[in-house]
Amino acid sequence: MPTELPYAADAEEALSYDELEVLRLQYQKELSQSHVTVQTKFNYAWGLVKSPLREHQVEGVRLLQDIYRQEPGRRRECLYYLALGHYKMGNYEEARRFNALLLDKEPTNLQAQSLATLIDKRVTREGYIGMAIVGGVAAFSTLVLASIIRRASRK
Amino acid sequence: MAQSQDKANAPINVKLLLIGNSSVGKSSLLLRFSDEQWLPEDESSATIGVDFRVHKMDVKGKKVKLSIWDTAGQERFRTITSSYYRGAQGIILVYDVANRESFDALPKWFTELETYVSSAVVKIIVGNKVDKEFSRQVPASEGQAFATRMNALFVEASAKTAVGVQEAFRDVVERILDTPELWQTGANNVRKSNSGRRSGDDMPGSIDLSREPEEAEGGGCSC
Repeated sequence: MPTELPYAADAEEALSYDELEVLRLQYQKELSQSHVTVQTKFNYAWGLVKSPLREHQVEGVRLLQDIYRQEPGRRRECLYYLALGHYKMGNYEEARRFNALLLDKEPTNLQAQSLATLIDKRVTREGYIGMAIVGGVAAFSTLVLASIIRRASRK
Repeated sequence: MAQSQDKANAPINVKLLLIGNSSVGKSSLLLRFSDEQWLPEDESSATIGVDFRVHKMDVKGKKVKLSIWDTAGQERFRTITSSYYRGAQGIILVYDVANRESFDALPKWFTELETYVSSAVVKIIVGNKVDKEFSRQVPASEGQAFATRMNALFVEASAKTAVGVQEAFRDVVERILDTPELWQTGANNVRKSNSGRRSGDDMPGSIDLSREPEEAEGGGCSC
């Protein structure tokens, strides 16, 4: 039987408040000791990107970009979660760009392939919604215009 | 979950988790099971964080909808992957029969398990890569003996040749269905309380996400 695809597990489920707090407190603690380990920073960034709150996602993406620059050994996961973070924020161009960088290095990476499909689907869907809105507005203005013309021609 | 038994047609939801050292073939077992595919080593990439698949199957005349969480084996993802244990009814612990180290790591994985899931959760140990018979480092009898000692099911498999793969998933699901407390009303919350946890058991690179955040700070109100 077929598997339901695509899916990005980390895109859907957020951590509980307490779980994110554990990661945040660890990060804050290390920050106050002026030595944040990459692991702590990455864990917290991941928790933030998973959050449904936009401000969390923005902060998560910021931290991931830091790690990407600092830590070449962690670039592949940074690319993946950067793509995921931007996808969740609705920045589909950025999401595609980061995911493409990962696919460039790992063309057969199934997670990245799945995320690419997910981004494309969302773009298409929002495109339709956008067209529907534009179409609706156009139809409405035509009606308004028609009634104005009708009224004008009655006079 | 609770309603699923009321309606005969509704499938039983079962959550499975794949764990084990990196490169033992967790993702390959899942790919073989769900898509009947296999990627050679140079084309497969290490899982980032966690991957997920849904798979439907009929077991013992019941419709079962499996959500399978495929966790990264690399240590740096340990904190991330630990957050996925919650609500799992079955755990598939994988090692590579041609890699002694991955077998020797199993007790550590069991320690981690005890932190996050109740003892009722079904466990199966899968010795993967039996296609590499010529370089086998762990005899089947040793795997079986360890599984018996840990009260886990056991099977040897090969994601490459498909041997034992269906059995592994079917066995664990059958055992879950035989354990109604795992899937009937109210049983969804099989998360273990973290009382009695000894610190120092942590696998490297892991933060225990099940602990209260206040514990991390030391004191404070938990309201």
